[in-house]
Formats: sequence, structure tokens, C-alpha cells
Amino acid sequence: MSQPAAPQNDPTIEPELYKKREKLYTREVHGVFAVLRLSAMAALLGIYYGIPWVNWDGRQAILFDLPARKFHIFGLTFWPQDFFYLSMLLIIAAIALFMFTALAGRLWCGYACPQTVWTEIYMWIERKIEGNSRTQKKRDKGPRNAAFFGTKATKHAAWLLFSLWTGFTFVGYFTPIHELWDSFLSWNLGPWETFWIFFYGFATYGNAGFMREQVCIYMCPYARFQSAMFDHDTLIISYDEKRGNPRGSRKRGTPSSDVNLGDCIDCGLCVQVCPVGIDIRDGLQYQCIGCAACIDVCDDVMDKMGYPKGLVKYTTENALEGKETKIVRPRILVYVGILTFVSAALLYGLLTRVPLEVDIIRDRNVLYTETDEGLVQNVYNLKIINMEARPQRYRLSVSGLEGLKVVGQTEGIEIASGAVKDLPLRVEVDPIELKTSSTEIMFHIESEITPDELSIEEHARFLGPVSR
Amino acid sequence: MSTLPATKTDQNQLPVVQQIVSVMWPSFLTASGATIIFFTLFDPIELSMIGGFPGLTRLGGYTIGFFCFWLLTSISCALTCYFRRPMSRQNRPNITTEP
Repeated sequence: MSQPAAPQNDPTIEPELYKKREKLYTREVHGVFAVLRLSAMAALLGIYYGIPWVNWDGRQAILFDLPARKFHIFGLTFWPQDFFYLSMLLIIAAIALFMFTALAGRLWCGYACPQTVWTEIYMWIERKIEGNSRTQKKRDKGPRNAAFFGTKATKHAAWLLFSLWTGFTFVGYFTPIHELWDSFLSWNLGPWETFWIFFYGFATYGNAGFMREQVCIYMCPYARFQSAMFDHDTLIISYDEKRGNPRGSRKRGTPSSDVNLGDCIDCGLCVQVCPVGIDIRDGLQYQCIGCAACIDVCDDVMDKMGYPKGLVKYTTENALEGKETKIVRPRILVYVGILTFVSAALLYGLLTRVPLEVDIIRDRNVLYTETDEGLVQNVYNLKIINMEARPQRYRLSVSGLEGLKVVGQTEGIEIASGAVKDLPLRVEVDPIELKTSSTEIMFHIESEITPDELSIEEHARFLGPVSR
Repeated sequence: MSTLPATKTDQNQLPVVQQIVSVMWPSFLTASGATIIFFTLFDPIELSMIGGFPGLTRLGGYTIGFFCFWLLTSISCALTCYFRRPMSRQNRPNITTEP
């Protein structure tokens, strides 16, 4: 049906790589996997559109506050200095994706990928306005009258509204969404916010409304290499050729043996429901996103025919060949091992993370000065960042040389939550103590409220003349 | 982007729309990554002070930074596309006139 023939206008185009696209009219499907897919879709969309509106401790629960360069995730606040945790998280996500691919094929593509989820909701809107796939096809082939343009305009208006709402929510992850909403209501959105709402909205509209399966086939990097994770024990969606062939139509309720045919009645429904427009009966294909729509529709047909379900089903290559399927295998164990290790490291890092950062910058203009009392003096500028969600009071001390004296504030240093304090300090010492022209000294900063939990040390250089 | 018709010598010539997509999409991906890493290390406000644009907000800085990266990466993608085209295409008329 929807398998496009070789491009008509230019036979020199490599037919496999890019072919002229024919619009797919994907038929709606009901069944076990459709329910699973729709539940996943509802949950994920609910999270996406809902989470920015949730508050936590008087602040937006999840806010990647780009204007302030701080990431708030519930009680935790992350700074650019914490980029390490983000990269760990990305590694975990990647390994988890590999593991699930090895176990169950393109689970991610079929159920959780934003491209699938948004395509699904855009097709749902399309069906609500344009009718089912057959009506849509008929309309597109029919006359371009007022009714045609009216329906199309309604659909695009609905799509655009939904896209803009998606873009608005997206920006709401980066600037406080309640403020964003207020400024929208007062028609007072900032230029950059407006730009990103439209940019992201436009991308959603294009990807979910028009590009659809082409994103998976041509643009997705994961789709290109996912088959490298497959082995003979990976769960795939497959048509049972031995049972189904030879295909052919027959009257309802006729046993296959009576007509000398396999169980496949060649109704073509599995092709009509496929969102990427392939025929699963041709075997495992790189376009297949593993959405299981063909399983649902074929099971339905088998029920009506009085045949057992599972002509198209989740199975493995080993099972198809009559061999045993192993879930625990070296590949999976390696993935689980790496995953456990990195997750444990991340957890350890988060638990032992000290939400206090100190940068010590030496005064660059003067190496050192000598005071009236004959002491050598170095000037430092401390930049103390309170990364905790509450205000803090700190004290500091310096060690590393006998008789070090700090001139400046060393106690009761109050810093609000998420604030940075610049603290100029002068450190003095008797030159008799200096063995070399550059000595390492240590700044020790701790919380006055909870000194046991919150303390860090930073190195610095103390310069001076060498005595003797 | 060339709109010359495909010939026997360059069978892999893609339609113009797909050429544009094949330049813009990979460059978009790399530009996104570069933007994240770059602005993790550098604060756009500090950069704008150095660069002499004191009025710029952070969000504006990120946006401009992203599009500068995208411009750069798309230029290199476009150059790749350009250089992978066979030499014979542009030089064909000369070949016939040479003795």
C-alpha cells in the first residue's frame, strides 16, 4: 500500500537513502500494546506539561534557571561547577538505553521517544478533526473546496496552538513559568523568550505534524546504530512466516488446512497501521520502531478468524529458530555492571557533595608588601559561593606557616542561599618563618552552624622574601 | 546548493531540500552540544563585558551563542558537501577544449 515506488522524477537518486515521501495515512489501532503505548504517552506528556507548574519549597521544583546559571531539581541546586554530575547522568542514560535495546529492541522508539509521543498526539488531533485514515485519504484526493480548506485550517490551527503551548512549556523549564505566564497575560514577554517559544513550537509542529517517521528513518542518530546492540536474544517484533505462509484470503472461520493456506489472510491491516509504512511480513527492517501496532491489529484479526493469536508477535531470533532465549547473557551483564558502577558513583558524589565553593585569587598587582611592623603581607580575594538552599554563616582560618595572621573578616561571614560573596583578605607572617619565596598555605572554611558537615579546604600560594 | 541536474558522473547528487537538511541537521546537533559545553565554562554576561556589549542578558547571550555555533558548524557541513562533489562537474567544459 504505502510502500512508495522508486522516485518517479529522477531515477539517478539513490533509492534507499532518500526516497520521495508519500504521506502515510496511519490507521488507528486498539489492543493491549496500544493501551500501553497510550498510557506511556499520557504519562510522559503529563510530566512534560505538568512538572514546570509544580512548586517545591516555594520555588519551581524543576527549573534550569539559565538566566541565573543555576539548576534547581527539587531540593538540590546545581551550579555550572557541577557539570560533572550532568555528564554522569548522561552516561547513565546512554548505557541504560543500550541495555534496554539489547534486551527488548527499540522499546525507547516505540513507547517513550518524544518524536513518537508527539507524533501520536498530533495524529490523534488530526483524527479528531479530519476523521479516520480512510476519510483523510478521500479528502486529500477529493476536490479543493471550502469544506476541504476549512477542515485543514482547523487542524493546523489546533496543531499550532498545541505547538505554541509546547514551546511555552519548554521555555518554562528555563525561566520561572509562573512569571512567564503572567508576562504572557500582560502581553509583555521578553524578546528571547518569545523567540524560543516560537522556535521550539515551530520545531514541534514540523516534526510531529509533517516529518513524523522521516525523523526516525533519516535524522535519528540512534536509529542508525541501534541494530549494533541487537543479538539473537533481543526481543523483536516478527511475523511467523512458517505459520502465516502461504497467505491468502478466505471466508471467516475457515480453518487454514481446508484451503491449503497459512494463517495469514493477507488483509493488509498490519501495513495500514504501521506508522513508518513498512510491511512487517518482509522481516525485521531498520525502519521498524517497535511500536507493536501490527501485533494488536493482527491479534484482533486472528480472534475474528478463530485462529490463535500471535501470528505477529514479540519474539526473539532464537525463539523463531526454535532455540532457547537467554535473558541473562554476557552483553547484558556488562551493561548492568557499568550501569551499577556509574550510578553508585553518581549517588556517592551527590551524597558527599559539599554545597560550598571557594575560589582564591591572589592580588596580581603586588607580589607581597612589608608592613610597618616588619611582617610580610599577601593580599587575596576570596570568592565564596553558598550552593545550599538556605542562608549560611561561615568562619575561616589559614594554616601552613607558623604565626600566620589574617587581617579581615574571619567569622560570621553571612551569605544568602545561592549567593556569591567577594571577601578581600590580607594574610601576614613574620619573614623569619619563610623558608622559600613561595609557600603553600591552606584556607579552611567551615559553616558556623554545622561545622562537621560543611567544610572545605583550598590551597593558595604565599609569596615573600627569603630570609638570611 | 546547486540545482544542476544530476548526471552520470555524480549519481549521488541529492535533491536540493535534502542537501539543505543534510547540512542544517548535523550542524544543529553539534551546535547544541557545543553551546552547552561552552556556556557551562563561560558566563555570557562576563563575555559580553569583554566584548563590549554591556546591555546583553544571559538568555540573549545563550541565544546568540547558539546561533553563532550553528552558523559555524553549518559552514563546515556545507563545505564538506561542496568538496565531496566530483571535480569533473565544474571542470567539464574545460576538459573538452583542451588538446
